[in-house]
Amino acid sequence: MAKHILEVRNLAKSYDGLVAVDGVSFEVQQQEVFGILGPNGAGKTTTLEMIETLRPIDRGEVLLNGIDVKKSPQEVKRLIGVQLQSSSFFDKMNLKELLLLFGELYGRQVDPITLLEEVELQDKARSQVGSLSGGQKQRFSIAAALVNEPLVIFLDEPTTGLDPQSRRHLWGVIKRIRSEGKTIVLTTHYMDEAEELCDRVAIMDHGKIIALDPPQELISHLLSQGFKKDRVERHANLEDVFLSLTGHLLREE
Amino acid sequence: MRLKYKLFTASFKMFFRQREAIIWTVLFPIFMVTLFGFVKFDGIGHIELGVVNEAGDTAARLVSALKAVQTLRVHEGTREYELKELEKGEREMVLVIPDVGSLEPAKTLTAYVSDEKPQESQLGALILQRVMDEIAFEQSPHPNRVLVRTEPVKSRNLTYIDFLLPGILSMSIMQMGIFGVAFNFVSLKKRGILRRLWVTPINPNDFILAQVATRLIVVMLQIVIMVGFGVAFFDLHFIGSFGDLFIVGMLGAVIFLAIGFALAGVSKSEDHVAPLANVISLPMMLLSGVFFSRSNLPGFIHTVTDYFPLTYLADAMRSIAIDGVALPDVVPQLVGLGVWCIVSCTVAVKLFRWE
Repeated sequence: MAKHILEVRNLAKSYDGLVAVDGVSFEVQQQEVFGILGPNGAGKTTTLEMIETLRPIDRGEVLLNGIDVKKSPQEVKRLIGVQLQSSSFFDKMNLKELLLLFGELYGRQVDPITLLEEVELQDKARSQVGSLSGGQKQRFSIAAALVNEPLVIFLDEPTTGLDPQSRRHLWGVIKRIRSEGKTIVLTTHYMDEAEELCDRVAIMDHGKIIALDPPQELISHLLSQGFKKDRVERHANLEDVFLSLTGHLLREE
Repeated sequence: MRLKYKLFTASFKMFFRQREAIIWTVLFPIFMVTLFGFVKFDGIGHIELGVVNEAGDTAARLVSALKAVQTLRVHEGTREYELKELEKGEREMVLVIPDVGSLEPAKTLTAYVSDEKPQESQLGALILQRVMDEIAFEQSPHPNRVLVRTEPVKSRNLTYIDFLLPGILSMSIMQMGIFGVAFNFVSLKKRGILRRLWVTPINPNDFILAQVATRLIVVMLQIVIMVGFGVAFFDLHFIGSFGDLFIVGMLGAVIFLAIGFALAGVSKSEDHVAPLANVISLPMMLLSGVFFSRSNLPGFIHTVTDYFPLTYLADAMRSIAIDGVALPDVVPQLVGLGVWCIVSCTVAVKLFRWE
């Protein structure tokens, strides 16, 4: 058993001269929730896609449970669960049929109702994905990512585009999955989400990781440097950390 | 193996739950047949006369006299060919001029007529007799009249439906392959559905196999439904073997499925794929002998359309269904289809992209 369930070393990718991921390295421990935080275009999704075997790796190494992703992608696929940012499911099959089919892809005969109960969608077992709300669709993707009882689950921006209630609801689901012993790697551009869910956060900007620590440590470190918020409130939050590190505001919204 | 089966059943379910699938593969062809079935394309007012001239030049005067008659449309050919055409209903009458030498002119000439067209037969016989008499009286005021006697021959009186239905059936196989697959896959690609599959250990080829297998089964259903519909409501003279039709149909389907996959590979969106699909399918739809016989086409186009995959498919299906021939008799079409299979699959493998 590897010391770290996921090891990423100097991972890099460029498109036509544009550097998307610039030598990224980190390690994820078993049963932790590891977050990659950064604005759109930082390279978070590309990093994740390379680990998930969806994109070819230009340079660097990724070891999942000791297995080299570049050399043995099929083995890695069996061990991971993935929720993609912009993807969907066959729209003429209902949730139950989809989970059964995805289970078969891993050679397993899963119990779709149990999986749906995990994400509180058991009432929608006979509905098709097209009829679900945004939050329900995201919860279903997580259920689909769990069919093969994966070692690591990758969530790419799980709450983007959701209303605040759905976001909180999804956080609850993610916390419950984590408490059942799964390792979770997620990307997000929501600072409060990273603060709320993650044991450790890697802050990413322009293809590089510029900080990596548990959220509270990042904040304490900033405060210990003499940072003081303009508006006298409680204390700094992660957004402040980001601002201080990069010297510019969040680039979207 | 179990996985292949599961993928197939999933694919099968998904196909038939699309409303468009039912519409394009079943309702639309039925609609087209109904539409055209009520249009009478048969020529009116002519009598198709086959002339078998075994007497050579001595009968030249007679033949040209026959050709001069407005009501008669003369086709010259061998006895075997013309009688076959008579049986098919392509001729109303076949006159055989036997080779008896110049010494003894024949006393009677036999004209074979279709047993299902009494009016045309009578009229035709009258005209023939008139022409013969005119020639005889030209030569001498007291000629030996040559009598024309008719002999009825069993014929099948094929109609436009018999021509049209196999053509429409072939066309719907083409539409399913090209449009069905191309649009379906491009849509799956665009919506990221395929992407979600590729993070699983699935072998992409298994996925494609399931999709192809589904559509081949659909082809068989189309054949059964269309033939059944034609026989039940439009007096389709179906005398072929379903087994042979299935084989030919699936061969054709493979060609068009491959074209569909090739198009899906090079297109990023439905808008991109539509014009490409149309450019390939429309010329064939119009010129492969689906709605009207290619014999009406000008020389150069006729030659080019000889080699269209849809032409091979429609001709083969028509021969099997209506003329009742077996596979060995459509070997030229099978060869054509086989070559197109190889070509289209090669192109598809080169062009198909997962992302």
